[in-house]
Amino acid sequence: MFVLVADDSRVMRQIVIRTLRQAGYDDWEIIEANDGQEAYEMALDHQPDLILSDWNMPRATGIEALQALRQAGCDIPFGFVTSEGSPEMREQAEAAGALFLIAKPFTADSFREALDPVLA
Amino acid sequence: MSQVAFQVSKEQVLEITQEVFTAMLDQGETLTFERFEPVPDFADPLFAWVEMHADSEFGAFTGRAVVKTETETAHEITRSLLMLAPDEEVTEADLTDAFGEIANVVGGNVKALIDAVARLTLPQVGATPPVEENAMFLQELAIDWRGRVLVVSLWVLL
Repeated sequence: MFVLVADDSRVMRQIVIRTLRQAGYDDWEIIEANDGQEAYEMALDHQPDLILSDWNMPRATGIEALQALRQAGCDIPFGFVTSEGSPEMREQAEAAGALFLIAKPFTADSFREALDPVLA
Repeated sequence: MSQVAFQVSKEQVLEITQEVFTAMLDQGETLTFERFEPVPDFADPLFAWVEMHADSEFGAFTGRAVVKTETETAHEITRSLLMLAPDEEVTEADLTDAFGEIANVVGGNVKALIDAVARLTLPQVGATPPVEENAMFLQELAIDWRGRVLVVSLWVLL
């Protein structure tokens, strides 16, 4: 698997990647984006198999990146990893085409629960 | 009024803080507890905060979640989040990033309790607290974590 992890926090990207390893996805190749705009550009340039993105980021938010990707005809599977897990946000994410929303703080189990059905 | 829409109990703040620290810092072990003793004066404090702009049926308002602690404790949080060795240097950028992320996750979870559609700001970190002028204090919780003290407070900006 080739995965793009987008978060404006380097610390959080590191925690997400560490948690993916702990969840058993330790052979995944991962590239990182610093914000929504970079996530959009890197997704189109590198065509990853999956995008894991924060919601609230500078330049472009995660939802804006997702909407722009879909408008550009890019249908790479997309999931949010965000501190904002309210029902409204989940509805908005789903409406935009996200497959799941993992709320922070998360555990390796939260990742497996969200990712295993997508990978099946 | 805004207080009606932004009602978060001390128990809810404790639950959120415990969940954040247990999952992000303490590998599933609960090491954060409410502190009942007086909070000592912080000699070298550091503040991290996020704001949430909400539109509720009672009108628009802005809430703020602030985490305050000793800078040395913020260093310890950064070391734990990045799994740094005790002798590894914590850079200023990592300190701001890591401590801001704690406020971001606490604030994001507080926002989920608000009875309104809200937008979260990016976290800010500073040695001085955010401006308290026109800010109405709502809730405060002192936390003991690994023998260190943190204070989480919630505000409504008027």
